[in-house]
Amino acid sequence: MKTKKNRLFICLFAVILLFTATSSARVTPTYAIVNCKIIPVTGSPIDKGIIIIRDGLIESLGPQGKISIPEDAEIIKAEGLFAYPGLIDAHTNLFLELPKEETRRPETMRTVSAEPQQKEKAQHPDLMALKLLKPKKTAVADLHKIGITTVLVAPERGIYAGQSVLLNINGEIAEPMVIKSPVALHVNFTTASGTYPSSLMGTMAFLRQSFLDTEYYSSYKSQFSKSARGLKRPEYNPFLEALLPYVVKKSPIFFNCANLEDIKRALGLIKEFKLNAFLTGANEAWRVADLLIKNANVPLLVSLDFKPPMTSIYVNQGEELKKKAEEEIYPANAANLHKKGLTFALTSQGLKKPDDILKNVQKAIKTGLPKEEALKSMTIIPAKFLGVSSFLGSLEPGKIANIILTSGEIFDEKAKVERVFVDGISFEIKKPPKGEKPSAVNIAGRWSATVSSAMGEWESTMELEQDGNQISGNISTRMGRWEIRDGILSGNELALSISATIMGETMDVAFSGTAEKDSIEGTITFMEWSMELKAKRIPDGKF
Amino acid sequence: MQRKNIGIILVVSLVVFSSFSFGQDLLIKNGTILTVTKGTIPNGDILIIKGIIKQIGENIEAPKGIKIIDASGKYVIPGIIDSHTHIALTGTNESAEAITAEVKMRDVLNAEDRSIYTAISGGVTMVHTMHGSGNPIGGENIVIKTKWGKTSEEMIVHSAYRTLKFALGENPKRANSPAVGTLRYPQSRMGVNAIIRREFLKAKNYMEQWDRYLKAKKSKKPPKNLILPRKDLRMEQLADMLRGKMVARCHSYRADETLEFIKLSKEFDFKIACFEHASEAFKIAKELAEEKIGISVFLDNWAYKVEASEGIAYSAAYCTKNGVLVSINSDSNERIRRLFNDAAKAMKYGGLSEEEALKLVTINPAIQLGVEKIAGSLEVGKHGDIAIFNEHPLSAYTLCEKTIIEGEVYFDRAQYLKEREEMEKKKKEEEKKKVKKGGTK
Repeated sequence: MKTKKNRLFICLFAVILLFTATSSARVTPTYAIVNCKIIPVTGSPIDKGIIIIRDGLIESLGPQGKISIPEDAEIIKAEGLFAYPGLIDAHTNLFLELPKEETRRPETMRTVSAEPQQKEKAQHPDLMALKLLKPKKTAVADLHKIGITTVLVAPERGIYAGQSVLLNINGEIAEPMVIKSPVALHVNFTTASGTYPSSLMGTMAFLRQSFLDTEYYSSYKSQFSKSARGLKRPEYNPFLEALLPYVVKKSPIFFNCANLEDIKRALGLIKEFKLNAFLTGANEAWRVADLLIKNANVPLLVSLDFKPPMTSIYVNQGEELKKKAEEEIYPANAANLHKKGLTFALTSQGLKKPDDILKNVQKAIKTGLPKEEALKSMTIIPAKFLGVSSFLGSLEPGKIANIILTSGEIFDEKAKVERVFVDGISFEIKKPPKGEKPSAVNIAGRWSATVSSAMGEWESTMELEQDGNQISGNISTRMGRWEIRDGILSGNELALSISATIMGETMDVAFSGTAEKDSIEGTITFMEWSMELKAKRIPDGKF
Repeated sequence: MQRKNIGIILVVSLVVFSSFSFGQDLLIKNGTILTVTKGTIPNGDILIIKGIIKQIGENIEAPKGIKIIDASGKYVIPGIIDSHTHIALTGTNESAEAITAEVKMRDVLNAEDRSIYTAISGGVTMVHTMHGSGNPIGGENIVIKTKWGKTSEEMIVHSAYRTLKFALGENPKRANSPAVGTLRYPQSRMGVNAIIRREFLKAKNYMEQWDRYLKAKKSKKPPKNLILPRKDLRMEQLADMLRGKMVARCHSYRADETLEFIKLSKEFDFKIACFEHASEAFKIAKELAEEKIGISVFLDNWAYKVEASEGIAYSAAYCTKNGVLVSINSDSNERIRRLFNDAAKAMKYGGLSEEEALKLVTINPAIQLGVEKIAGSLEVGKHGDIAIFNEHPLSAYTLCEKTIIEGEVYFDRAQYLKEREEMEKKKKEEEKKKVKKGGTK
């Protein structure tokens, strides 16, 4: 009986999914953003301006009076707001949820033969970020909230981590977001676990050998295609096939540089193999600024991760210096690079929380990075680096309508992103509910909940945490454990957002209701469907 | 002809350019100078210009504005050279495979390893920092100067030999470090010997393959489908050994396997510069001297594992007296600060002279590393790499006071102690302030 109910429930969500999928067909209205201060980045600011968006593009922009508002345009009053191009995060790991890495602990004795091992098997240059994308509404909202509209999503594990994809975050379905795939091959100066190369020096040799092998493979193949007679057929090698575009055709390779020696290692390999490469990570870049000036043709993607690397001189001389490094010295990386006249893009590579992106940009500005530079380093500079500046990276007629409206100057601590346009699609930024009050009760703990809808009842367990009036936690259902986030308990009024994953798709459902010390009651709504939820506290110690 | 000239101009301009950026000027006055190769000057001066020793003698006139160090009552010796250590590296062994000649320590230099500072606090100015002894054939080692605060590139000594690490005995057969769940060939001494021979045979084949290709390419009628052989970095390194472009540094304890390795080197005609640790070297001193192979040893450290059980403290002195080129190494980031103490022990155990003892940590390692033209003794034309001691460096009470590389002071004990005192004072004051603040709350 119960399984039947479950099936019904799944059916319900399947219908919902279908609905969301069809509703996101690209019909983008025409918009006129009026009366805003326009910061185009590539041109001078316009104090009271109008931006017309049509078919996902910026049709025109200019001062009021010079731009006529089309009749079919939906007018967005933006009095007092600033309009900026959407921010570009040119290297992030935030968007990709990889399966948890298996910790390989061989139980039986493994024999390593005298012959060289099949090193390629441990590496995966052919891994495509695009194929692993499972966009979540929450992840989209997190980025929109700080004004990011375009991201380069890269796999992060292994020496050859895989190939990245450039996305316009215009919804929750992967394919329509894709600007370009693959963009680059991502290389880490790391080691393979339990197999060759197991050390950094081995990794360097492995990288060199694989570049050489790719060149050899390519020349053999081309010789075979020219005159095959008398030549042994080249054996198909998927590992080298994946490297071919990058080593031979010179598509970009991103070298992730965790410390200053990595930067030198990367520059050495770039020179040795004439690669078209980017340096990314590079949070010690200022320490080799002169070397970078000599290599100004290599695009520099500087991470906003301020954690000093283990090899740093600042981490092995006591806690005091280590703390200072993280709070003062490393945040000044970008400012120092700017002083040296270097151009760079700022990225979130290595950061664990989206909120840290904005916080850390602000820190970088505090250490002396001019605001305008910070803005450029997240708009037009990455757009140029990635070869998309003809249609992204600034507010200009004909470019993609990636626009953010903020309540103050961007990166100001008080400024909030109010609305973003991505590909001309408008996303309003959810504000915390008004009239927030301190919580009347503490609802932290375990709860047993019953969800009832037209299709029957459904039991689950909730675990809630409370911090001030902020509520978070999870709800365990038959379909898995779902995260509860952005919850607020204002007086006795409880609002929660639940990230529900059903049949591999994740969507946000909202709960609103009331909470007492031992009971919670309310409604879960998703589009036009609604369900009642009643929960009772499970006393401590009872499981 | 014209092309040749251009080449010469380029080389000359390179030399001129590099000498501009090389080293500093310094005059050391009134010290007891132990030159190591040219005797002792009781009250002497050393003039260093742009990092190179220009003059050694008495009462050298100070060029205008030059930095002067007064070494009255002090002992001035050539910077100490450590022939075998593993400092300033990110990683020591590539242990996933037994043969890893393709890995290079140059790729993993870490200029910020604090051990470099430890080294200069003991008067060390140059080290041979090596691949570990986990593999029968390890990686390519590198010689660096301990220029604390400089970049890894600035530390590299380009004129030194290219050396490749080999290892025999317990370590490469993983007797003392059984990796969890891994059983790696070779597991015996005969396996170690066999795998090294096999790799050299492979390298010979590899070279022949390339020779055949180049010959065919150069021939008047090259075959239509001539294919460039695959470049194999592992084989390239071993080929360089066979071509004489590299020398072997071989970790070896027992006399029998040491002799076996010498046989192997004759079979394939490669050069061994030095045996490492070599605790049974005294048993084969005559053979080592005949083959002109050096040893790099601990002075009085043995029996820490089964193959080191027959070591003796007299070996360094005995081998020296029998014509073997001996150096004393640290193999550690701790012993590296007191190599001069170990050298002094060779006077007690075996009766070496002061000069002979000092050679164990200066000119002898310099010869082993192929840098005797620039380092290892105080002579005009060599680099200004110098250590200044408060007492005779072979005294048990001595301390290194200053370490100078290419005329630049990298370690100054007085300065260091002053800074440390100031820092501690500052810290105490801050703590006091904190306590006060806490009190008012």
